[in-house]
Amino acid sequence: MEKTLTITNKTGLHARPASMFVQTANKFKAKIKLTGKGKTVDAKSILMIMSLGLQQGTDVTINAEGEDAQAAIDALAQLVESKFGEEE
Amino acid sequence: MSIKLRGKGVIAGVAIAKAVRLEQNLDKHVAAYIAGSVEEEAKRVAEAFDAVTDILEENVRSLKEKGLGEQAGIMEAHRIMAQDPMLRGNAINRAENGDSAPRAVLAAADESAAMFENMEDAYFRERAVDVRDVGKRIARVLLGLKGPEIGEEPVILCGEEIEPSIIANVPAEQIAGVTLGQGSTTCHAVIIAKARAIPTVVGLGSDLQNITDGAQMVINGSTGEIFVKPTEDLLKHFRIKIAEQEKLKEQYAKLRSLPAQTTDGHEVILAANISTHLDISSAVKDFGARGVGLFRSEFLFMEHNEAPDEETQFKAYKEAVEKCKGELCVIRTMDIGGDKPLPYLNIPKEENPFLGWRAIRICLVRRDVFMPQVRAILRAGVYGRAAMMLPMVIQLSEIEMVKEMIEEAKTQLAREDIPYSENVQLGIMVETPAAAVMTPMLAKHVDFFSIGTNDLVQYTLAVDRMNTNVSYLYNHFNPAILSLVKRTIDAANANGKWCGMCGEMASDPAAAVILMAMGITELSMSAPSIPRVKKMLRSISMKQAKEALDHVMRMEHGTAIREYLQKNFSLEA
Repeated sequence: MEKTLTITNKTGLHARPASMFVQTANKFKAKIKLTGKGKTVDAKSILMIMSLGLQQGTDVTINAEGEDAQAAIDALAQLVESKFGEEE
Repeated sequence: MSIKLRGKGVIAGVAIAKAVRLEQNLDKHVAAYIAGSVEEEAKRVAEAFDAVTDILEENVRSLKEKGLGEQAGIMEAHRIMAQDPMLRGNAINRAENGDSAPRAVLAAADESAAMFENMEDAYFRERAVDVRDVGKRIARVLLGLKGPEIGEEPVILCGEEIEPSIIANVPAEQIAGVTLGQGSTTCHAVIIAKARAIPTVVGLGSDLQNITDGAQMVINGSTGEIFVKPTEDLLKHFRIKIAEQEKLKEQYAKLRSLPAQTTDGHEVILAANISTHLDISSAVKDFGARGVGLFRSEFLFMEHNEAPDEETQFKAYKEAVEKCKGELCVIRTMDIGGDKPLPYLNIPKEENPFLGWRAIRICLVRRDVFMPQVRAILRAGVYGRAAMMLPMVIQLSEIEMVKEMIEEAKTQLAREDIPYSENVQLGIMVETPAAAVMTPMLAKHVDFFSIGTNDLVQYTLAVDRMNTNVSYLYNHFNPAILSLVKRTIDAANANGKWCGMCGEMASDPAAAVILMAMGITELSMSAPSIPRVKKMLRSISMKQAKEALDHVMRMEHGTAIREYLQKNFSLEA
């Protein structure tokens, strides 16, 4: 299952948001992948995620497979939608 | 024989110590490493990753306990990299294919670093250093090395780049200085060195090769000078400098928490001039600055190839305002012109940039560049006491146009439901003769003035102080200058506004005496100058200062005024 959404926080997936994303992904057993700018990477790897260079306005797709896949997608989508807690 | 090198001094202070070359050591050890079987090496890689993850976790915890949030954040990112499945998988894979464990780790880190180095965004490019740092840390564990070999004696760390973890984790007393081959003043290593006030010189480039591991060296973070294997004479000279440095530090420490108050109880606010929000902590903690009288925001504009966005500026201003802890933080809007061209401003080449398209003149045309700054300052005002100060103003219409933009910004922010402050003061730098002459009228339209003496003296006396044939004419005690300064202070006070000064004159203890007598509210200067001015003000009375002012206002020669004040108000060494 997967979900597509847009990175809306100002800094994009810089170190802090990327590490929040990875820490959340690692809480789940599901195999999770992140697709952006035409590349698909392991969502549990901060280096791979940062290598995508995702900025504000980029569309990404979160794909998860496994028993807690839905919960993982919900948690990660919530993180992206909450702009990683960055103030406006 | 002594070798003299020169880099860019970024953190002031002199240090004499032995050099520790950081990269060299590792290569030697990797070559000498004795590998086991393929299985053993792969297992060692996995164990080293785990060990470093544990160490970093412990580091993050202890840095947080010490309240070193900035360092803790950097180490936290390293910890997550050490746990990264790609880095780890790549390293184990290489070991399984016959690389020794340390080689496998370093190669895997290099591969990830190269990926970052090829990215467009400067932020991501700089992360290559962090990945290599993590790789080296893991390799050190495999090689049985405990970080750089730093013993009891303080050392000067030298490297092309220095892994931020090294500076963050070695006790400050053991690092006497830092010398980098690369020239960035915003890399993590420099940020941490700055927070610890470690003398630092960057940008040595290939000259770094001249510094051998273990050699004695002198670095001067104020001038950028470096001497490797210095002669006895040089050592003697710099030991005296260090002794002076220490003595001054002691004196400053005593003055830090005392008010800048005369013997008869008249106080002047002494604030700091800063270039980045990172300068504030030390200004407040080490030198007792009461807030910021001049935040030169143009440094935010000079760091990148495009104008900084509102969010980047907001974060910097917010942090600055918060760090002022209830004191005022005066943010000067972008002050850039043809002498410091920025690619995105497209300033055509000018015959005379100081009389050209600069500062507020650019801002009022390039609203796309200025509006984000106006919004960011209004937003930062929510977190403390902020003020916006306009440079290079010559007439009222400029203030009126900015006021319109402020209103427009407020309307936008309200519509977007973004919090902003209604209490951000608006003031101008009085640095053109036109503004100074018109202060009685301008005072009705602003909240404050801050006299920028560097430009005011140059424009009023028509003297370029860099021109050695005329620089002798540059004198902030010239009666024309004193008259304009007094006029400005009087105009502010007559209208119930306040007047400060943020030019170099403010850091001249003898000038501070008569400025106080004229009724100035605030003097803002580079933080290390604060204790000297404070010492002067604490040693005199307002009565004495007024007498001196009466006397000099009747004098006719600028040079005589300077001599008179320096003779009567000198700080004994």
